[in-house]
Amino acid sequence: MNRFSEDSMSLESRAALVGNVLAVADSKLVLGNWYLKGVHNGRALPDFAALLAMSATSLGHTRALYKYLIGFGEDYSYLERGRGRGEIRSMNLLDAAPESWEDFLTTIYLAEQSTWMMMSGFLNAPDPALVGLAKKIGTESYFHLKYAAGWRSIFFEGKNETYREALSNKFPLALQWFGTDSEHDVLLDQGMRNVGLVELRKALLRQVLTDHDAPGFEWVSAAEAPTFGNDWDVDKRRAGELPEGLYEIVKFQDPAAVHD
Amino acid sequence: MKRRKEFDRGLEVGKGERTVFYEVFARRDSSEALWHVGSIQAPNDDLAQVRAWYIYDQHEWKEMNVVPTSAIVPITEANKSIKIKVA
Repeated sequence: MNRFSEDSMSLESRAALVGNVLAVADSKLVLGNWYLKGVHNGRALPDFAALLAMSATSLGHTRALYKYLIGFGEDYSYLERGRGRGEIRSMNLLDAAPESWEDFLTTIYLAEQSTWMMMSGFLNAPDPALVGLAKKIGTESYFHLKYAAGWRSIFFEGKNETYREALSNKFPLALQWFGTDSEHDVLLDQGMRNVGLVELRKALLRQVLTDHDAPGFEWVSAAEAPTFGNDWDVDKRRAGELPEGLYEIVKFQDPAAVHD
Repeated sequence: MKRRKEFDRGLEVGKGERTVFYEVFARRDSSEALWHVGSIQAPNDDLAQVRAWYIYDQHEWKEMNVVPTSAIVPITEANKSIKIKVA
């Protein structure tokens, strides 16, 4: 039986894998806090329970992915509590606070779909631990995406203009997360994933178009080719630093400070 | 003067007619019969599934199902069943 060893990877591919996994883990960190902040906006009591549970599972994904990176020489406590806002690699999609319930729902939908797309690329990775994490995240994301689907059908029913606008505004940021066409995908070359970033981005585009193919819901995506500014950081998969206010919300508290 | 916030129920929680009750059934493994574990109210099947999954999480269920209460055909004599909610 061939056992996978992190040491068998080149330095370049190790760095790329750590970067990709951190991008998902940090996005789940911010997403978990989105759910938490959204709890009191739930439209019914069961929504409160669902939003709290989705927050807990998202933050659980974050911690599981941080733990996975210990095998790559990363310090867990530093990843969880030691980093400044310039080191957090969450997607730009989650930077701005939601402006409405519709904006909240479309943003969590796009973040869930994007992070799942990224993890699905590792389903056939040579590292069983990474495959297991991808499967677990996929299983739990199923319910998160179903929650968004339930609300989406209500928005379709009401021909909700606010939802259409929010989707048009946020979708380019989701596509952007997968990078430029010219990005060198070392993890694809090294066999860590069997679907490249460009293909994953196209799959996201197809999925979002399919999910919004509903009678009476007219929506044209102008986002097939996302734009990138000079501040786009390919390693962090984001432009600029995490906003200061958001960092204060999402950063894990030092356990000593909490218990004193 | 502050404007009162307008709440469009149709837009926000679906059309009133669509909010229905569902009964929730689950089992922990294949040797168990499906239990009736509770009920849930939701505007559509997707939200009913998610709400049930997260509300009735007292066990690690291997199977969970929701059934619209309106789909249940009573066997007991008409008007003799205990009416606990309107489907």
